[in-house]
Amino acid sequence: MGILERAAAAAQSAELYEELSEGIGVTFRGGEIEKASSQTVLGRALRVIAGGRLGFASTAGEDEEKLVEAALTSANHGDPAPFGFPPLRTGAQVEVLDEEVLSISPDELISWGEEAVRAIREEFPDVIVDASLSRGTVEVRIENTSGGELRERRSYLSMGIETQWIREGDIYLLWVGRSVRRKADLSPEALTAEALRYLRWGERVVPAPQGTPLVLFSPKGAFVLLLPLIVGFSGLSVVMGTSPLRGRLGEQVFDPRFNLVDDGTLPYAPSSRSFDDEGVPTSCLPLVEEGVAKNFFYDLRAAALAEAESTGSGIRGGVLRGSGFRSPPSPSVRNIVVQPGEGSLEDLIAEMREGIVVADVLGLGQGNIQSGAFSNNVSAGFVVKDGKVVGRLKNTMIAGNVYEVLKDGLKAIGGEPEWVYGTAYVPPILVDGVSVVAR
Amino acid sequence: MEAHVREVLAKSPADYTEIRWEEVDRSRVAFQRDQLMALERSREAGGIVRVLVGGAWGVAVFTDPDDLPRKVEEATQLARAAARHVRDPIRLAEVPPVQDRFFPELKIDFREVPLEEKRRLAEGYNKIILNFAPEIVSTAVRYTDSLRRLIYANSQGTYIEQAIPDVTVLLLAVARKNGDIQQAFESIGEAGGYEIAQARGELAEAAAKRAVDLLSAKPVKGGRYTVVLDQELAGVFIHEAFGHICEADFLLKNEPMRKVMELGKRFGVEALNVVDDGYIPGARGNVPYDDEGVPRKKVYLIKEGVLSGLMHSRATAEKTGMEPTGNARAVSWEHEPIVRMRNTYIEPGEASFEELIAGVDHGIYAKGAFGGQTEFEQFTFSAGYAYEIVGGEIGDMLRDVVLTGNVFQTLRNIDLIADDFQLKGGAGGCGKYSQSPLPVTDGAPHVRIRDVIIGGR
Repeated sequence: MGILERAAAAAQSAELYEELSEGIGVTFRGGEIEKASSQTVLGRALRVIAGGRLGFASTAGEDEEKLVEAALTSANHGDPAPFGFPPLRTGAQVEVLDEEVLSISPDELISWGEEAVRAIREEFPDVIVDASLSRGTVEVRIENTSGGELRERRSYLSMGIETQWIREGDIYLLWVGRSVRRKADLSPEALTAEALRYLRWGERVVPAPQGTPLVLFSPKGAFVLLLPLIVGFSGLSVVMGTSPLRGRLGEQVFDPRFNLVDDGTLPYAPSSRSFDDEGVPTSCLPLVEEGVAKNFFYDLRAAALAEAESTGSGIRGGVLRGSGFRSPPSPSVRNIVVQPGEGSLEDLIAEMREGIVVADVLGLGQGNIQSGAFSNNVSAGFVVKDGKVVGRLKNTMIAGNVYEVLKDGLKAIGGEPEWVYGTAYVPPILVDGVSVVAR
Repeated sequence: MEAHVREVLAKSPADYTEIRWEEVDRSRVAFQRDQLMALERSREAGGIVRVLVGGAWGVAVFTDPDDLPRKVEEATQLARAAARHVRDPIRLAEVPPVQDRFFPELKIDFREVPLEEKRRLAEGYNKIILNFAPEIVSTAVRYTDSLRRLIYANSQGTYIEQAIPDVTVLLLAVARKNGDIQQAFESIGEAGGYEIAQARGELAEAAAKRAVDLLSAKPVKGGRYTVVLDQELAGVFIHEAFGHICEADFLLKNEPMRKVMELGKRFGVEALNVVDDGYIPGARGNVPYDDEGVPRKKVYLIKEGVLSGLMHSRATAEKTGMEPTGNARAVSWEHEPIVRMRNTYIEPGEASFEELIAGVDHGIYAKGAFGGQTEFEQFTFSAGYAYEIVGGEIGDMLRDVVLTGNVFQTLRNIDLIADDFQLKGGAGGCGKYSQSPLPVTDGAPHVRIRDVIIGGR
């Protein structure tokens, strides 16, 4: 008898989630390979509804009997389940598996890393280069007692480069990375070029302008603006009364040029999937259309509490995707996409004339992000004068509120979006109304 | 398991092999407003093999214990592939082999406490916050416990079994008024039994009161200030801003960084002493033996203002000609050990808290910590709440206080250290690379720092 059958024998309904991660990775330190690794990890989570009450338990490497017992114990002392498990139907298949990723060897990953190190060291011999590359698959299987079984194997391929440029009285640290599902979507050369561009821009330290200069967020930097929105559009924040967007659907909350969707169906996008971790089909969900707040995203629980429908946003592990099987699902974005405008980062730099570029920050998510506030140290930022980057800034903090900056402060949305943090597809964004304080 | 592990080790073809097998019992209760978001008691197990071949690491992570021999083979092949590209091979500092078993006594073993009782405890705290005032709109109350039982063995004759307990409570209140949302929290984290989580109602009340008070606090004006940090925030500062750069894996293949972190350099005033200690009774960061089987050492990172030690793994110790310190830690069986902090603190000074405040004409008294991050010399961390200091006296409450700076300048700008030391293990943990949250403890007395940048409008 399988786990689900055992659980079903003692409960009204049950759901089994299985996650098998298999992959390899390599790590470079100081320009040299240090480690090659592999993992084969099978994790399971069981939810049951017994006596009308919801129970949850998870496990890895343990026997099935204990998992069933643990979930039943949890239900025994749990609260009434506000939702039931939906019948599992195979819907539209989203493309998430690239067979070519599976055959990438450790030697190939090593050679990409070595080439990145070589290219950076050729131009900047004193720069220390660390890198990590990994590839693999996550296979998810969900079955529940409402009927049906869903199974999907998703590939991933990721590469990160970290550079450290250490000179007397100055340490310049930079991190660039990509996470994709398809081999053709990873260009180690483009990633290396991005690191080289920021190294060139950062060769010289110059004083930062203070007050409220124009601020151009690079795609990665722009995640500063997206993170409070991810919290604000979560159906759970809305239900709990902690979202400033509560009761404001249909309102003009942002600049009319701002459009935002949460799309789980983009072929081979890093967080795409045919169904969420509760087996609900994913979708393309508009969050903001022409500045108007349109939808919140829900998992089964938040939807039941809000008397809404799940949007296929029940993700285990949250925005930064920890080990999924250990946590119950909660509402999370799949791929959050800002509709691009026109112009490259360089075009916007020429257009802004004076101001700063924020390419990366420290302290992402710290502070009162529920209210939309951000306050960050700029870890990779540059000063723009006469439409050109003149050098790197240091010891500088930016602060503001997303709901103000993206309403009254939006100057331009660029073209050329990039994938950042494995979940967001963002173009450069130029704003004012951000406070800048520097030493 | 012991016989199986020893047998596999004996057959490994690698230059060096280590095996760690971990069984974890954990439970978790979480409330958000009136919703029970998690109620769980789970068990899991998993293992990791790490081998050294030709100066490169090979690592294999697995969940099926029958896979062990095959995983040693796999890790060896991966290490061989990497070793072909190695010019500067990794070597391990010698350590005497250890045979030991270490199981702490728990006053109230949380594994014996019914899940129902843990639920009642968390629900009680949640109600205290919810019922505190009409402005409270939401909460996040979380109780967790875990007992990691570890088997560690290596091919140099070390075999250790140890258990590491951890109990945390998070009490967070969210208050709202006219569209303004503020939050405040209190947390506890200790290596002990269930008693740690009990009778903490006053902390729940403190969190609720502060969230409400923050609604009428003034947003801080950005600028440069003299700042007095409370014990908790000073502890987070020393962990985030300074502790991380004393983790010697940063220096392993990094000559310029080794020069920056040369022992004997002056980093701060004479009264400044900073320690990382592997064992303080009850502290969350306790590591009797690290995940390379090395017994704990107490390390002075700064002694009388001078850089006097770093935290090491066996590889970084060999590279720098130092002794391993027992700082190689892995957050779970899914990860290999890397150099991490344990219980990190600033030793008490001689000044009184009143002296620290009295000397400030226009400054900020920053308390509690919402978190922080560091990238070598740059750090940032946010205070939970703060007060103005005007003319040597504590004034109005402030909010949105985020501090940033350059660690070397900031350490030099510490001008007074109080005598009121406190150790604090929170409910979160430390993150490095992809390994988070690792239980750690921070500690400090009140500390005064000149010329700190505060972000804000």
